[in-house]
Amino acid sequence: MDFYQPTSLDAALALLAADPEALPLAGGATLVAMMNADLVEPSALVSLRDVAELQTIEAAADGGFRIGAMISHAALADEARLGGGNEVVRQAAARIAHPQVRNIGTLGGAVAHGDPSSDLPAALVAADAAIEIAGPAARRVVAAENFFEDYLTTALKPGEMVSAITLPVQPEGAVGHYEKFARVHGGYATLSVAVVLAMAGGECSHVRVALGAAGATPVRVDAAEARLLGSVLDADAVRDAAAILAEASDPIDDVRGSAEYRLMLVPRLLGRALAAAEGGA
Amino acid sequence: MDISLRINGEECALSVPASRTLLEALRDDMALTGAKNACNQGVCGSCTVLVDGMPVNACLVLAVNVTGRDITTIEGLGEGGELSVVQQAFVDAGAIQCGFCMSGMIVSATAFLAHNPMPSRDEIRTALSGNLCRCSGYVRVFDAVALAAQRLSP
Ligand SMILES: Cc1cc2nc3c(=O)[nH]c(=O)nc-3n(C[C@H](O)[C@H](O)[C@H](O)COP(=O)(O)OP(=O)(O)OC[C@H]3O[C@@H](n4cnc5c(N)ncnc54)[C@H](O)[C@@H]3O)c2cc1C
Repeated sequence: MDFYQPTSLDAALALLAADPEALPLAGGATLVAMMNADLVEPSALVSLRDVAELQTIEAAADGGFRIGAMISHAALADEARLGGGNEVVRQAAARIAHPQVRNIGTLGGAVAHGDPSSDLPAALVAADAAIEIAGPAARRVVAAENFFEDYLTTALKPGEMVSAITLPVQPEGAVGHYEKFARVHGGYATLSVAVVLAMAGGECSHVRVALGAAGATPVRVDAAEARLLGSVLDADAVRDAAAILAEASDPIDDVRGSAEYRLMLVPRLLGRALAAAEGGA
Repeated sequence: MDISLRINGEECALSVPASRTLLEALRDDMALTGAKNACNQGVCGSCTVLVDGMPVNACLVLAVNVTGRDITTIEGLGEGGELSVVQQAFVDAGAIQCGFCMSGMIVSATAFLAHNPMPSRDEIRTALSGNLCRCSGYVRVFDAVALAAQRLSP
């Protein structure tokens, strides 16, 4: 296996274009674990460690953020500027695994891997983030909601890389909250709920909700949010919205919980997530 | 591939295949066997070492990807043949049973106390959530970290 350590994004893309069996290496939290288990055997690794363009968090003039693909979960969890609605992303990063894995794993690696039981995808969909993709020929941007296509399958085409994630300006007064339910601290979610909520005069004036570990991709439904909008987040509204989300979910049975159990968690966790966000809104 | 890195304060030059993990390089090339190989999947924490002061699972890190970095293993914590304050606290608190997870626990605890010198019990538990003890002797491990914090406080 060959190993390259380019110092620019263009050089990394050229190396990937030259060898279709080569893979980008972020922290290696998934890739090295898979190599250790003999599940993948790349011909070459293109380490992104020294690609400076991927290592920064920039606050945009308009109040949004651009976060480089190589930012670790630990750095994201510590980013105090991510408040308001974008707090949902910071909270999700803080709930990933344990300190050791948060120091290794990266935003770009987690997004590119596209594991529906991981924490960042649902949070990015709730925050209405966009994924910046760099390819050998062109750069493009895909909304997080359209980026996760299926189980471990994303909009990335061969030779393309995630270069950054952008977070929009959230509505005035919005609060983000990430509610994760796992069997043990640091475990993968049995189910999670990411919300961005704003209230005006006691009524819900903005809401985006995405479920994690509820299907092959994050689950978000317009009708569920429509049911909550304009309501006072009363029990009926929350129950109806949860029913719509559960209807659109297609969770799996695994060691973290049965599909039936996960569906049962939807109304409970949605209620908790909205209450927590409302408490801060 | 030829790489160089600092291990426990000493410059080291190594020649390793690109697929070799930092854990394998430490144990097999450097004969530093304090970091243990158990799950090889980043789950158990028994291979925890510090890279530039931050705890990581050495089994998930490729040696070629930490060139130029500063690595600290359990062997590098004490000075002049003396145990570090954290190591001594683990002995005094009776935290050690079979001992297999201990180097990972102590390395994690050392990094944690450097950032949070006066932790609550809950913060200690969270900080060590990536270190499994299959003897399940967590209570005295938390006692040991609390004792170390107390001894390190000015
Ligand atoms: C023990 C353990 C527990 C975990 N628990 C959780 C958890 O509770 N919640 C959670 O959300 N996650 C969890 N994870 C996942 C982890 O947090 C990382 O997000 C994930 O492993 C990706 O790691 P990485 O960034 O090091 O990417 P790598 O392992 O380096 O790469 C992963 C894949 O993405 C590709 N890739 C990497 N970067 C890019 C890029 N910029 N563009 C395109 N492709 C790229 C690689 O080629 C590879 O195929 C856990 C992982 C471990 C090992």
